[in-house]
Amino acid sequence: MDVMAVMDGDLARALRKPMEERAWGMVIDVRRCIGCHACTVACKAENKTPPNVSYNVVIEEELGTYPNVSRRFLPRPCMQCAKPPCVSVCPVNATYRRPDSVVVIDYEQCIGCRYCLNACPYGARYFDSGDFYTEGTPRGAPHEEAVTHEVAAQPGDTWRRVVGRESSPVGNARKCHYCLHRVENGALPACVVTCLGRARFFGDLADPESLVARLVAKDGIARLKEELGTEPHTYYLL
Amino acid sequence: MDQGCTRRQFLKGTGLATGGALLGVELLTQSRGAVVGVARSAPEGGNPLLSVESTLYTTCLQCHIDCNVKVRVADGVAVKIDGNPLSPQNLIPNLPSETTSLEEAARVDGKVCPRGQAGLQTLYDPYRLVKVLKRTGPRGSNQWRTIPFSQAVEEIVEGGRLFADIGEDRHVPGLRELFVLKDGSTAEAMAADIKKLQAGAMTVDEFKGTHGAYADVLLDPEHPDLGPKNNGFVFMAGRIEHGRGELAKRFVNGAFGSVNFFEHTTICEQSHHIAYAHTTDQPTVKNGALKFEKGKTHMKPDLLNAEFVIFFGTGAFEANFGVTPMAEKVTHSMRARNFRFAVVDPRLSKTAGKADHWVPIKPGTDAALAMAMVRWIIDNQAYDEGFLRNATKAAAAAFGESCWSGAGYLVEIQDGVPGGYLRADAVGLGSAEQVVVVRDGVPVPVSPGDETAVVVADLDAAVRLNGVEAKTAFRLLSENARGKTVEEYAEIAGVDATVVETLAREFTSHGKKAVAEMYRGAVQHTNGYYNGLAILALNCLVGNPDWTGGLSQGGGHWHEQGDKEAQPYPLADLHPRALAAFGVPLTREKWAYEKSTLFARDAGYPATRPWYPFTSNVYQEVLPSAGDGYPYPIQVLFNHKGAPLYSTPAGHLQVGIIRDLEKIPLVISCDIVVGETTVYADYIFPDITYLERWGFPHPVPDVQSPVSPVRQPVVGPLTEVVEVAGEPMPVSLEAVFLAVADRLGLSGFGRDAFGPRMHFTRPEDYYLKLAANIAAGDHPDEAVPDASDSEMQLFQKAREHLPAAVYSWERWRQALRPEEWAKVVYVLNRGGRFDPFDHAYDGDRLAHALKGLVHLYMEGPGKGRHSLTGKPLGGTATYLPPTTAMGQPLEAMEGEYKLITYKEVFHTQSRTIGNYWVLPLRPENTIWMSAADAAAAGLQDGDEVRLTSRTNPKGEIDLGGGTIIPITGRIEVRQGLRPGVVAVSHHFGHWGYGSATVTIDGQEVPADPRRGRGLTVNPLMLSDPDVPNVCLTDPVGGSASFMDSWVRVERVA
Repeated sequence: MDVMAVMDGDLARALRKPMEERAWGMVIDVRRCIGCHACTVACKAENKTPPNVSYNVVIEEELGTYPNVSRRFLPRPCMQCAKPPCVSVCPVNATYRRPDSVVVIDYEQCIGCRYCLNACPYGARYFDSGDFYTEGTPRGAPHEEAVTHEVAAQPGDTWRRVVGRESSPVGNARKCHYCLHRVENGALPACVVTCLGRARFFGDLADPESLVARLVAKDGIARLKEELGTEPHTYYLL
Repeated sequence: MDQGCTRRQFLKGTGLATGGALLGVELLTQSRGAVVGVARSAPEGGNPLLSVESTLYTTCLQCHIDCNVKVRVADGVAVKIDGNPLSPQNLIPNLPSETTSLEEAARVDGKVCPRGQAGLQTLYDPYRLVKVLKRTGPRGSNQWRTIPFSQAVEEIVEGGRLFADIGEDRHVPGLRELFVLKDGSTAEAMAADIKKLQAGAMTVDEFKGTHGAYADVLLDPEHPDLGPKNNGFVFMAGRIEHGRGELAKRFVNGAFGSVNFFEHTTICEQSHHIAYAHTTDQPTVKNGALKFEKGKTHMKPDLLNAEFVIFFGTGAFEANFGVTPMAEKVTHSMRARNFRFAVVDPRLSKTAGKADHWVPIKPGTDAALAMAMVRWIIDNQAYDEGFLRNATKAAAAAFGESCWSGAGYLVEIQDGVPGGYLRADAVGLGSAEQVVVVRDGVPVPVSPGDETAVVVADLDAAVRLNGVEAKTAFRLLSENARGKTVEEYAEIAGVDATVVETLAREFTSHGKKAVAEMYRGAVQHTNGYYNGLAILALNCLVGNPDWTGGLSQGGGHWHEQGDKEAQPYPLADLHPRALAAFGVPLTREKWAYEKSTLFARDAGYPATRPWYPFTSNVYQEVLPSAGDGYPYPIQVLFNHKGAPLYSTPAGHLQVGIIRDLEKIPLVISCDIVVGETTVYADYIFPDITYLERWGFPHPVPDVQSPVSPVRQPVVGPLTEVVEVAGEPMPVSLEAVFLAVADRLGLSGFGRDAFGPRMHFTRPEDYYLKLAANIAAGDHPDEAVPDASDSEMQLFQKAREHLPAAVYSWERWRQALRPEEWAKVVYVLNRGGRFDPFDHAYDGDRLAHALKGLVHLYMEGPGKGRHSLTGKPLGGTATYLPPTTAMGQPLEAMEGEYKLITYKEVFHTQSRTIGNYWVLPLRPENTIWMSAADAAAAGLQDGDEVRLTSRTNPKGEIDLGGGTIIPITGRIEVRQGLRPGVVAVSHHFGHWGYGSATVTIDGQEVPADPRRGRGLTVNPLMLSDPDVPNVCLTDPVGGSASFMDSWVRVERVA
């Protein structure tokens, strides 16, 4: 059941190609999701996102009536749309879709107008108001001010949110970037590696041999709000 | 399907298209070997957090699963926690240690649960204590001043008028006053004679005659079995795991000579452990007598290969033991192979929500359902007869089994009441080392462990031999099961009788690949032990132990305490001058009332408070027993990470006890934050968290290949660095032990503590020896390789951020012999020692197997008596209704709802409310009520209500001094809950732990309201009418009852 090794191999192959020939994508098996929220918290830990910014959430639902009841959990990262509604509304071209299909935000360009938050039909964008979890407590926590490595403009970018300092990414729109800072260094996204139900699959949709490409070709594949024509690169296996 | 059986409506009525395709199995069999390595061609100068130098391996403690993790450290700060890919607990299959470079391991991350991810927020909790606190107001006032560590140690050791400055005109006894029995040989002689006294082989007068000169060291010379005055020192731990646990016992038992060391197990799942242990107790012969002991306390289904699993009161996706290793095995199995599962739980847990069968029974009736299944299985002869009839080890081997069964062993019946297994000498058939079975109608003696005699026993037999009546264990189970019809059982459990047949039929349709699994929900009841026995009887009946897809004891671990032949440091022996702690424990555990001198003093039954001969760590009894001074008063309580006032059912009743300066003259705490119980301490020593210290937890039995994780400091300590006998170290539990031992001159600590020139002056002097034992392995030729030179350099580079107070290359090396160091570095560089995943199985057998006897009858409780009623307890699986301590049934009353509790997957019981990343997932808990009940009561989602109960009619927590906390919360209307039941999660409703204002040195530290939200329902749980200052308790397993209480729900205007 070594899907992790399969994905590692897919990742390695993709990284040997030029960036513009990669098409990163994610498949989430809804049946395998156990609603543990490990992805959500791992994402927070990886990206040091502040309160009210959560690149990933898991929506819990209870279906049916007693005693015929079941539960379903729906993780929602960024859909990484091929036709992202959030990009076209940006007045300063701070957000754009990279050649490898990941929609990113250039924090140096973003003016924090939040048009993109409204434009996203999935609610996957957030505004960084400069909050900290330990605000109002006796002590700040050093991990909240740690350097992060989000690829927000160039590989190798680093960011640091510091209490009392308003510099980026504070004041910017923020969103899931498929952990490009890990992916481009040969590691799978944080939500994928920590998924307790092994419900998340990541790889190069442009590589027909990749696990995600094979999953996307299967029956039972769906995308959220297909009718909007956004063409997400995040898929769901039902 | 049947009532309560659900599934596959999923995705109906959503915006998602439906469909159904399994993930191809072919994806799941590809080996990692072919692809790993090529994936590691990362660009130069990439993400530094993926580098080998910034990665340190250790072990989580956000819950007791003790996951194996790696911590990324940047600039001395822990910034991210991931799973250790070398461990099969956190990556399936794990990267093989032998062929995986550390560079590769640094880049491949295993899985960690949400609370494990949030462990950084336990480490960096803004409410962490860093200096020693001494109270400056009455107990519980939360008024403190910081004092030097050395002063605190002096005061707790020497005692005196320690609180005269705040007007307390009393002498506080120090530890020196209790440390009266100091001589190892005297203690040993007394302890040995107390055993004789207990066995009836010595009288009190004889004891006095022998030890009269030492009468003054005893608590009560007329009752020497209460032990020495040293027992006035009581240590209780909320969470203490291997490594630290043994160290604490070294201090409390061996060095200080107190018998009173308690963990918190009975508020978790202790009755489950006891049921397992008895079911798997192994035969041993001592002094010519046959005993059954040392059973496995915990087994698990082999989830990767089982075909049908019934989860009783637990699941694989929340809590249990535990979600991180277990969940993936279930999700994989349900997608990729022929696996089905059922969840027996009044609440639609996350696991139940994905199950093939959800069986919402009435709380606490697990045994009714299980016994109905037992009956169906016996009536339909659906059991594995061959397995059950194998009466010896040789029989098992002859018929292709590794375990054999006591189903055919005869049990002696006196006056119609079964007692113990009949011994062959009692009926003139053989020796006292043998039991008796009936073979082809003829009684024959059997040595249970016999490796040569193949004995196949009759299952269903009743005989009279030399005037002794006896029946086989199988017959007793069968008679008991047939005491009620399937319909009657189903009525008790509140399910349709067809559910019983459906489950029983499916359970017996998969050969040995069906398992009945249980945890907390099934056993935290007054009938918990017997619920456990009934569930485990199902496993015995299908003969599943040791089979691939069956019931597993787990892969186990290498033994860190050094008790195996190849290991260099046998720690238990490396304690010169150790004291033999003896006497009745404060909680009267592991001791039969009838065998104490108090039995005669108090004129037999009922005992003043219950005794617990079959269990241990009866946590809920510690403070209430001290409150009653029974069996003796205590003087000093050392509470390490314990939160009994918050975590124990009816724990709020303990407030009055711990506040009472007479009942507990000195209260010392060691913890990381001021909690609901810590607040009553006289002194609080700050502790270090799991990321700053050592530990050697054992793996969970769900993991099928051997794992020995090591916990080690990965960042510098946040607590104050102090000097203990000249050595700098952070204030911590270890520092307290070392400093107190130094001042009192205790054995086992300090200079020559382990033997000549083997000193214990720093924590690593102890802990590195455990690592050396693991590195050596249990058997010769099992040692790990030496770390290479480059690994040695990496070890140092990765620890450059650690201060001298915790790490020094030279000092660490000195804790070991030179030849051991490179092997220990190898282990520490990997966070432990891990076998490859494929070592788990040996064809259709589990490679790490029980290979032992399993019982259908438990002779301990079979011979035992209830300490209050004097009635026989019973050794057969059975359904018992919930009762008070005196056996009075507890009946529902009109207008009440049965209260059950559960745990969120992103929290642990009481210590995660400061983990800010998980709080938004559910900012407060709610009161789950079924839609039918809510409609009948006119309640809606979000309505605020107060909960009350029979023993908490006001629905409040009275902290004294006018501080009263109402127990109120909001209704959440759910379909997934049995009507008549309300369910509330733990974790919330704190009134301490950062949710109360603390004053230190005159400065107010304000509370964080996020940490006080929601409600705790523990105070609503019934106190026992027969023992009013404690909750209802299982008399055999000792589990505190969390789910036998009823509440009323009143709308808050």
